[in-house]
Amino acid sequence: MKNLKQKLINFELTIKKIYEKGKIKGPIHLSGGNEDQLIKIFKRIKNNDWVISNWRSHYHALLQGISEKKVLREILKGKSMSLNFKEHKFIASSIVGGGIPIGLGIALAIKRKKQKNKVFIFVGDMTFETGIFYECYKYAKNYNLPIKFVVEDNGLSTNTPTKKAWKTISKKPKDIIYYKYKRRFPHHGTGSWVLF
Amino acid sequence: MGIILMMKLKYKSELIRSMSYLAKNKKTIFIGQSVSYSGNAIFNTLSHISKNKKIELPVFEEVQLGLSTGLALNGYVPITCFPRFDFLILAMNQLVNHLDKMRTLSNNSFKPRVIIRTSIGSKKPLNGGVQHTQDYTNVFKNILTEINVVSLKNPKDIFNEFKLALNRKDSKSTLLIENGDYYNSR
Repeated sequence: MKNLKQKLINFELTIKKIYEKGKIKGPIHLSGGNEDQLIKIFKRIKNNDWVISNWRSHYHALLQGISEKKVLREILKGKSMSLNFKEHKFIASSIVGGGIPIGLGIALAIKRKKQKNKVFIFVGDMTFETGIFYECYKYAKNYNLPIKFVVEDNGLSTNTPTKKAWKTISKKPKDIIYYKYKRRFPHHGTGSWVLF
Repeated sequence: MGIILMMKLKYKSELIRSMSYLAKNKKTIFIGQSVSYSGNAIFNTLSHISKNKKIELPVFEEVQLGLSTGLALNGYVPITCFPRFDFLILAMNQLVNHLDKMRTLSNNSFKPRVIIRTSIGSKKPLNGGVQHTQDYTNVFKNILTEINVVSLKNPKDIFNEFKLALNRKDSKSTLLIENGDYYNSR
């Protein structure tokens, strides 16, 4: 686990260096500060499960077993915030809440086809507060669809404090996976000024 | 005179024939509000379709379109019904930012085939007003890049357009736009 954690951290540090050299012509959203929580969560996720991620998806992709080489190749194309790999059943949308109904449909198909796998949907704390999350969560729960929602709470949406913007935040249901963390990097970029 | 006129009307019957054809395919599934319960013109073209080929959904248009994409990514061909063009507007995020961009986002690997049915609301004998009768065909033709947009004006084209939507080799999604007034006039 220690090696895996370091491997994740090192990957992002490598991306950081490449980005700061001006070699990635698109925004990057680095992961960091949530290695322990994600390593634990991904122990529950099987190779055949679907993972629905978002704009901050590097760790999700690597932990789903997608090779560093493949992930790096996409990031170099400027696709850091929309990593999609059919062969790994991995989908990422860079629109708030965008992947959730897609995951819902995949799960509905799983149930109707009596497949054995599941869908894991990762959202941030601001996305958790949206109407589309609520609709999809409610439908999934009512129809007992094979979905697990994971809320990754760093308290921020871009740089807007979720709690401040909403005045209060909603209670998290017990059947979702929830964890809090402090992000290591800015919302996008590395915090350094880069000339492209 | 009335009977002769009825016999010439083909628009609705061609839609019904098309739905029967789509229903024969094992992968297809009809979803939306009022696919199983009456309430709009589209329902009248689906009432003969078997219950196990239909999923009645709540009113959540954006979820419906995303859910359709998800079904398609896992092996189905959803025929997703939005009773009025005005209501499809509520699904724009999933339509434009997601379904329409899946190929680009995934290096051409995710190729969901979704058949989207919508209808310009009828104005006769009752005019539904500005929120129920708009024709946004040109807007959608301009904004969509990967999804085909087809306007169903002539009854003789209807069956072939649905057949193409189901079988096209590139598996692209298709938006088929009906017109409520044509159900009673063409």
